[in-house]
Amino acid sequence: MNPETEKTLAFFGRMTANLTHEFKNILAIIQESAGLMEDIMAISPLAKDKYQERFNNSMNTIKNQLQRGMELATRFNRFAHTPDHSRAELELAETMVHFCTLTERFARLKHISLQAGNQQGQEIKITTNPLLLYMVLFYSLDACLSVLPAQCEIRLIPVQKDENVAVEIACSGKQAPSAEDFFTSLRQSSIWADLENAAEQLNAELKCNTDDLRFYLILK
Amino acid sequence: MNNPIKVLLVDDEEEFVTTLAERLEMREFEPRIATSGDQAISMVEGEKFDLIVLDLMMPGIGGLEVMKQIKSANPDMPVILLTGQGSTKEGMAGMHQGAFDFLMKPLDIEELISQIHEALGKQSS
Repeated sequence: MNPETEKTLAFFGRMTANLTHEFKNILAIIQESAGLMEDIMAISPLAKDKYQERFNNSMNTIKNQLQRGMELATRFNRFAHTPDHSRAELELAETMVHFCTLTERFARLKHISLQAGNQQGQEIKITTNPLLLYMVLFYSLDACLSVLPAQCEIRLIPVQKDENVAVEIACSGKQAPSAEDFFTSLRQSSIWADLENAAEQLNAELKCNTDDLRFYLILK
Repeated sequence: MNNPIKVLLVDDEEEFVTTLAERLEMREFEPRIATSGDQAISMVEGEKFDLIVLDLMMPGIGGLEVMKQIKSANPDMPVILLTGQGSTKEGMAGMHQGAFDFLMKPLDIEELISQIHEALGKQSS
């Protein structure tokens, strides 16, 4: 297997493991809520009134978790289809929301907030390789998570930069390192090398703003 | 009447852990809840528990590190691990590090209760 295929499979593996773990959490909540309802039903009819509110709460929890599961399954399915076409038209703001929903758990495990921003509030469309774009975004996120401490925030913002379309990766937080330390650590991490390679394959350019904790993925 | 078994349930999925606590309470247990590793460690420092049910993967301090810290002060504290992973690898690693056993999510409450009794029985024997 060539190294590029290995990297792609590793990326898919991490995304799949992450999302199936989230599905198991959802199923665990549904299982306990349904179990609690079953427990209440098994109590004598006289005690049921006492638990009516809890019974209704469990019903609502199940509905909410089903909604959460459906949303995740839909997005996961869409992600699974990213290799279908080597080029496709994507709307960047929507793509950032999609990517952040799929990867939010990686950030959550480090107590870091991940947000999709849409500063300019406009539709920005690009024709690109969807799978490679997701890989580049993933490496960008992974690199930031490897150097940022807890309670920081990462925002992915689509921007029109000069003639080009770009994604701004903006990090912030009270405990965040200085821009110099941030970029030194980023560039020393092995993930950064993966990011540079994947960006090159995508024909995208990485541009660091060394005044603060921001870098750009310029899509061509 | 015997004292109820006091169990600390640790999981960052709050709805899961509160519902599990309610179900254990209905079965005459005395459950307490922690939704992070830090909270669990500080609760164990201030309160006595018979057993801990601990999720392996949590934001911040993960389950194995929480278990290590708790066991350094309470080496005999039985710990049952919960894992949302599809493989048993992490659970087995936890057992090598001193967990009594591990259970996969979604959970079967009767299996959990059976494990709790087994862990406490083994401890007292």
